[in-house]
Amino acid sequence: MAENFLGNYKSCVSARATDKEILKGAQDGGIVTQLFAYALETGIIDGAIVAGPSDEPWKPRPMVAMTKDDLLKSRGTRYNLCPSVSFIKEATRSYGLDKVGIVGVPCQVQAVRKGQLYPAGLRDVPDAIALVVGIFCMENFTYQSIQQLVEDHAGVKLESVKKMEIGKGKFTVKTERGAEIALPLKVTHKYNQPGDHVCLDYVAEWADVSTGSVGSPDGWSTVFVRTKKGEDVWAKAMAAGCFETKPIEQVKPGLELVTKLATEKITKNRKTLEERASFGVGKGLRNPYL
Amino acid sequence: MSKVVEISPTTRHEGHSKLVLKVDDAGIVERGDWLSITPVRGVEKLAIGKTMEQVPKIASRVCGICPIAHTLAGIEAMEASIKCWYPDDARRLRVILQCANRAHSIALHNILILPDFYIPGTDTKINPFTPQEPVRSVAKRIQRIREISQTIGQIAGGEAIHPSNPRVGGMYRNVSDHAKLKMYDLAKEGLTLAHEQMDFMIAVIRNMQKRDWTEVGGKQIPIPKTLGYHDQGYMATDPVYGTTSHSENPTWSYERFKETRPWDWYMGEAEVNLADPSYPIGGTSPVGTKVNPQMEACTGIPLYDGQPVEVGPRARLVTFKNFDEKGTFGQHIARQLEYTDSFYAMLSAIDDLNPHGKVLADHIPQGDGSMGWAANEAPRGTDVHLAKVKDGRVQWYSMLVPTTWNFATCSRALTGAPWQIAEMVVRAYDPCVSCATHMIVIDEEKRIVAQKLIQ
Amino acid sequence: MGLLSRIFGKDVSREQQPSAGVVKTTEVTKKEDKPVADKITAGHVHMSGCTGCLVAVADNYGGLLTLLDKYVDYVYDLTLADVRHIPKMDVALVEGSVCINDKLSVEEIKQTREKSAIVVAVGGCACYGNITRFARGGQQNQPKHEAFLPIGDLINVDVYIPGCAPTPQLIRNVCVMAYLLLKGTKEQKELAGAYLKPLMNLAKRGTTACFCDLMTDVINQGLCIGCGTCAAACPVRAITHEYGRPQGQRDLCVKCGACYTQCPRSFLNMDVIKNFESIQELIKGAL
Ligand SMILES: Cc1cc2nc3c(=O)[nH]c(=O)nc-3n(C[C@H](O)[C@H](O)[C@H](O)COP(=O)(O)OP(=O)(O)OC[C@H]3O[C@@H](n4cnc5c(N)ncnc54)[C@H](O)[C@@H]3O)c2cc1C
Ligand code: SF4
Ligand code: SF4
Ligand code: SF4
Ligand code: SF4
Repeated sequence: MAENFLGNYKSCVSARATDKEILKGAQDGGIVTQLFAYALETGIIDGAIVAGPSDEPWKPRPMVAMTKDDLLKSRGTRYNLCPSVSFIKEATRSYGLDKVGIVGVPCQVQAVRKGQLYPAGLRDVPDAIALVVGIFCMENFTYQSIQQLVEDHAGVKLESVKKMEIGKGKFTVKTERGAEIALPLKVTHKYNQPGDHVCLDYVAEWADVSTGSVGSPDGWSTVFVRTKKGEDVWAKAMAAGCFETKPIEQVKPGLELVTKLATEKITKNRKTLEERASFGVGKGLRNPYL
Repeated sequence: MSKVVEISPTTRHEGHSKLVLKVDDAGIVERGDWLSITPVRGVEKLAIGKTMEQVPKIASRVCGICPIAHTLAGIEAMEASIKCWYPDDARRLRVILQCANRAHSIALHNILILPDFYIPGTDTKINPFTPQEPVRSVAKRIQRIREISQTIGQIAGGEAIHPSNPRVGGMYRNVSDHAKLKMYDLAKEGLTLAHEQMDFMIAVIRNMQKRDWTEVGGKQIPIPKTLGYHDQGYMATDPVYGTTSHSENPTWSYERFKETRPWDWYMGEAEVNLADPSYPIGGTSPVGTKVNPQMEACTGIPLYDGQPVEVGPRARLVTFKNFDEKGTFGQHIARQLEYTDSFYAMLSAIDDLNPHGKVLADHIPQGDGSMGWAANEAPRGTDVHLAKVKDGRVQWYSMLVPTTWNFATCSRALTGAPWQIAEMVVRAYDPCVSCATHMIVIDEEKRIVAQKLIQ
Repeated sequence: MGLLSRIFGKDVSREQQPSAGVVKTTEVTKKEDKPVADKITAGHVHMSGCTGCLVAVADNYGGLLTLLDKYVDYVYDLTLADVRHIPKMDVALVEGSVCINDKLSVEEIKQTREKSAIVVAVGGCACYGNITRFARGGQQNQPKHEAFLPIGDLINVDVYIPGCAPTPQLIRNVCVMAYLLLKGTKEQKELAGAYLKPLMNLAKRGTTACFCDLMTDVINQGLCIGCGTCAAACPVRAITHEYGRPQGQRDLCVKCGACYTQCPRSFLNMDVIKNFESIQELIKGAL
């Protein structure tokens, strides 16, 4: 039997938000923002930790969104590190949340789930986690890296960038003035963060709902509904007309591509883990999964 | 001939302590010494050279039952030393924290003392952990009051046990509008439950007061009407919060304070010659055990106006509310009366809090080495921290914690009690023994400090 | 010594002592004094700690009552019960470090090891020394009390629960798992063993903790992913994130070990965590 690189899930669709306002600034199908907006409105969560804007262009800063307006500010992908989990406890303290939503890349979702089962420094957080949305992630960058990629390789100032995208084997930078610079993904590899090289999750396997662009047509997202909670929230959001969907089997390139990328990532990183085990002479590097 | 009996360790309070009792032929205590045998972690000494931000965080970890008092007294001692005012909304958050800690602490103390009391109208002592009614409902109510208090403390203070939000100059963060509402609603629920719980506890305490005897280790022990009476004074600085040397009208005075060593206060070497293996559970120390409170005590004896004083709920009520009941039962009643007060004070601080107000001083001086002190009315009584800060670092630190004040007073209050119920007297002080570990201010140094203060 | 080998190496049920705890000793409980045969016995041993760890135990609120009703005979706890001397027990929850200049403390920690099947170090002080690492004596009335050691420097410790204060939820999880380990079905025992393994590994890893662990064992090892978890875990706000990596204000750190334990790159036992949904249900169901 082939190994499962996509994690357990209850259903998978290609989807897009029906709210035009959300879609306008969203990265792909606006799944994250729409789902949180619905969960906020219906009291499934009373706030969500998202990657909000900061003082520096394209540098995300964790933010606790408590209204739809807050959520709108966090739309879109910023391809650099956002320490969102650092707010997971504060959300239940000075923000006063009882039902916390959080979005994160797979390793952040892992951190949240570990925190729920082994809460060494996260008192009262485990039971307050109400909705975990995961976003696919092949690699991530430090701010300095994204700056070099955009300003040196693509040759545009970060301030003038309107959108960044990774897809179809390219890293694409779109500017406010309509220019579009596409770099081969190869270029980015020098810049991704070292910790990514041992990452064994592409599709946020432990999220309630996880989503990414890969597998679906432009403007649409691939969505995995994974847990009981995820299933419940997704069903309600569907019933409320939040999303239009297509069966994943009917879209191109579909799950095949997602599986391919996930397999590539995990296989490569397992190899890295092996190499780390005998990195030195009679000494290896640490393996967090043992 | 009086005999010596030792109860070690004492139980159902925080930390390690013991009782050495000289009793007469009828088993009545003639002289009692209650002393801490908790190792001294030496926070006052390890503080020296550390930053003024870190020391209160360490001081908090002196006691996990009144960590809030130690955090706030520690921070405010620093603020008094460096002469830093902090914003009003930070003050409100601190008051909320203070009240949350007090309510939680009273509730916890209820669990600790209930096994000494009877279900009214029965000869059945209360085991707070039994699943049987009516006790289980009471236990659940106690836990809910604690949960409410810990949750409110957590919102205002960052952590339910050792608060992380308070800092020199105010607080790290204010709370959201949503959080303010949540605290208010929780406090409202807490108030209702506190009323019920207070009524229950008072009924139980009054019932006990009417009894002639209580059962200990299979024997009926008479309860004297004057159980726990003493002739020492009282000390309290505020009904709810406290005072500092930086306040406009400080309500505590460093000049009236003096400290003696346990050497001058406790008994010297003695040998146990009365033992009771049936004393619950595990018996008293065997005959022949050598005891020496003078040498074993881990704390000094602080004096206020030349004598040991009582601090805590009754001291506050005597000082500010004309409360006049004495003894162990008076002390228990006073504590229950503070239940609802904590929630009223909390509600009014929440009401006044502006979630958009600033909570951190614009300018935080780094200190010139002058001495500042802060007294915080901890659940168990006045907790005074004294500090000298220079260039952001602590040069000198001292903590006069509630149970240190009470050790000496309570020791005196043991006189006249049958030794078998001496622990009941101790428990009425709601002792937190771990915190009671501090240095002695040498007279020489004290004079110099006092002079500086007057200047 | 591994916990599993120790537990399965001998017949634990034989070791069960009639409990002398609260439940059995106060008059009121005579009626419900039917010993619940498959309860485990547990106690709380207070060394040089602040009792914050015990408050964390109590902060399971209603859950604590259920634990005591169904799973645990609480046989020793100076703060909550009248038992004055350490009895035999299945699980000892130890709070605080040991002052080696205090005879009684050293005696008590040795007794604890001898009398308990499983020793759990609860909280930063017991695991790593926490603030008592800073102790250096010189304070009246016992100036000689200057040397404090985490319990793992004096006895073998089976399980670590780091943090200051530790969390009620992790304490609860460990208690439920210890129960399953001792009293559960074969599958439950396996699950409990797997769950406890990383906490047992922490006990083997060592007796020191600091923000520095994130530097030496995560960042320096090329494993940090800037997730932010360490900052959330720190109980003294010593950690911020600067351009994707944690920055520790070491002048604030109290050496509790929460940050490293919480970091997803200290340990991530996927085989257990992937079942987060069912394990959470199991624990909730138990209470
Ligand atoms: C570093 C990174 C790498 C990615 N790699 C892939 C990939 O290889 N394949 C793929 O299919 N998808 C990838 N994605 C996901 C994709 O870019 C979209 O974020 C996802 O499809 C959600 O789009 P949306 O329209 O549903 O969300 P929107 O409604 O636009 O909301 C996006 C959400 O993502 C959050 N967010 C933005 N930046 C970050 C960040 N740096 N860290 C944490 N959260 C953030 C925002 O807070 C917001 O809530 C990646 C995302 C990131 C952040
Ligand atoms: S590749 Fe893995 S480790 Fe790196 S940011 Fe993405 S999810 Fe995290
Ligand atoms: S770990 Fe923290 S809460 Fe526990 S005893 Fe030590 S200082 Fe107190
Ligand atoms: S928790 Fe670990 S991986 Fe995450 S930011 Fe901190 S050190 Fe890095
Ligand atoms: S940095 Fe914080 S969490 Fe880490 S060991 Fe120090 S005090 Fe504990």
